[in-house]
Amino acid sequence: MSAVALPEELVDFLESGASMLVGTRDGALRPECLRAAGCIVDPDRSSLRVLMNAATAARTVANLEAGSPIAVTFSRPVDHRTVQVKGTCRRVRPADSNEHEAAERYLALFTEALYVVGMSRAMVRRMRVAPTVVAEIQVLELFHQTPGPGAGRRLEERDAAR
Amino acid sequence: MRLADLPHRCFQGVFPAVLATCAADGTPNVTYLSQVFRVDDRHVALSCQFFNKTKQNVLENPYAAIELYDPISFAAYRLELRYDHEEHSGPLFETMRVRIDAIASQTGMAGVFKLRSADVYEVVSVEERIGFVDDSELPPPDPKRLTEAQPHNEIRGITMISQRTCSARTLDELLGTVLDALDDALGFEHGMVLMPDELAAKLFVVASHGYDEAGVGAEVAIGHGLIGTVARERRMLRMSGVENELRYGRAIRAGVQRTRARRELVPEIPLAGLPDAESYMAMPLVVGDRLIGVLAVESRKRLAFDEWHEAFLEIVANQVAIAIDNVVMREREAAAAADEAPERIEPVAPSSTLAADTKVLRYFRNDECVFVGDDYLIRNVPGKILWKLVREYTQTGRTTFSNRELRVDPQIGLPQLRDNLESRLVLLRKRLEEKCPDIQLIPTGRGRFRLAVACPLVLEERDGA
Repeated sequence: MSAVALPEELVDFLESGASMLVGTRDGALRPECLRAAGCIVDPDRSSLRVLMNAATAARTVANLEAGSPIAVTFSRPVDHRTVQVKGTCRRVRPADSNEHEAAERYLALFTEALYVVGMSRAMVRRMRVAPTVVAEIQVLELFHQTPGPGAGRRLEERDAAR
Repeated sequence: MRLADLPHRCFQGVFPAVLATCAADGTPNVTYLSQVFRVDDRHVALSCQFFNKTKQNVLENPYAAIELYDPISFAAYRLELRYDHEEHSGPLFETMRVRIDAIASQTGMAGVFKLRSADVYEVVSVEERIGFVDDSELPPPDPKRLTEAQPHNEIRGITMISQRTCSARTLDELLGTVLDALDDALGFEHGMVLMPDELAAKLFVVASHGYDEAGVGAEVAIGHGLIGTVARERRMLRMSGVENELRYGRAIRAGVQRTRARRELVPEIPLAGLPDAESYMAMPLVVGDRLIGVLAVESRKRLAFDEWHEAFLEIVANQVAIAIDNVVMREREAAAAADEAPERIEPVAPSSTLAADTKVLRYFRNDECVFVGDDYLIRNVPGKILWKLVREYTQTGRTTFSNRELRVDPQIGLPQLRDNLESRLVLLRKRLEEKCPDIQLIPTGRGRFRLAVACPLVLEERDGA
């Protein structure tokens, strides 16, 4: 499968503080889920960096290092707009200072996104984002995942650009 | 850790859970779940509304992992699951279906957004995600939260409600008493009782408690919305984070509007009661096979109600249903006894000395509704009852009436069997209190009441508005 470039409009959405969920699996195909702590889309728009809390990511990191593909779902709480990105992981490494800052920024945005739908800021702010590890992802597929009959459809360019 | 060690509130659907599955070819999939149902200590159930990637994956490879959140502390729990089977009927399926139907109906998605199956998973392991949250101070507990589950409160509350319902002599008294007692004993600050109309097609609010606008007389079609679904299914419904659930339904609706199912959509029904309710519980009031009504309570707080409140309200609902049935029966027996030995009715001439501004009552025949001046007062059966009373009053000066004559009056059109005259009179009385306090219906016992009019009346009758 060849790399896919993310539509430009989607970049803002992916970096907007949407809820981020990560799926991987081990060698016996047993899945693991994880709540991620932010995302940075690289300038070429066909790779992105997924930021994760190292304390909870041990299984995910082990899966990725053993060659698991990765699924990342981004969902905006206010209207449930949801997109799933699938790809492969090039490597996992500790975050640098810019990436640590990005994770802190993500937590602030995520807190506000949930505050809008009635979740307490004090509660959401308890979520830890550091120390942060980074998974470098090559994007291979993009899916529309907003709940409903269209969920699971491949995201076409015109949808993504809407 | 066992499933039973997790706080109940993790399963209330307040904060969406995360679910990961994996296809046979090794491709993972991750999604969020609006609710995880705890079936027993070894099983959970997930709702399947659309045949999606998750379902396809677990049929190929049964392993799944979910992360659940405590919606107060934000602690996270990881569960390893193994898909077991799907159910298309039975108590689990019905519980999940009613909830989904109610949300679907409330968002105008009835029949489009529905439960295909209840998917049951075996829980292989449960662990807390250490390090997901820091140990910063927790949000302070909400001081206005409902009474916590305590056996003493439970017993005291039930006793109190039982005593008060037993001593009520009329339906009106009973309904007010029950809603007050639910607040006093258990802190259900906002509640209402709805009862079916003559055709059992709609419910109308016959009593409410804790609202700025009493909303008495508001109607809900049976089968529509949260309350209407509870009435149709005769099953209780509890929701925490109502807004979140409805937003989820709306997201699906927005998707459906772009597809062929569009024609099936109907306008969204607004929630009766609090416009910003977050927690919600509604119980059918049933005696034998008859739907007596619906008891609904709501709160602006998320997580206001838990399983304990559900169990408690179920007991109360049973008591209330029977009490309503009994009090109506007693009122009728008294009325029947009175009919055998009728009192002499002395028509009283209308008094013009109780001067106030003259009230103009307008009756629109086509819509069967009554206005006071330009304000809508009441429609349908209670509207026709009022019109009969005020017409006789202005024509003959008569002020004493009996339930029996209303029952047999073909113009009013009450059903011959099991009519709902008592609840209609309660509604009429309350609407008058609210919109036209110069006219009162005062029960005088034995199925009779007196029409008290404190102002000159002018009646106008027209075909339509």
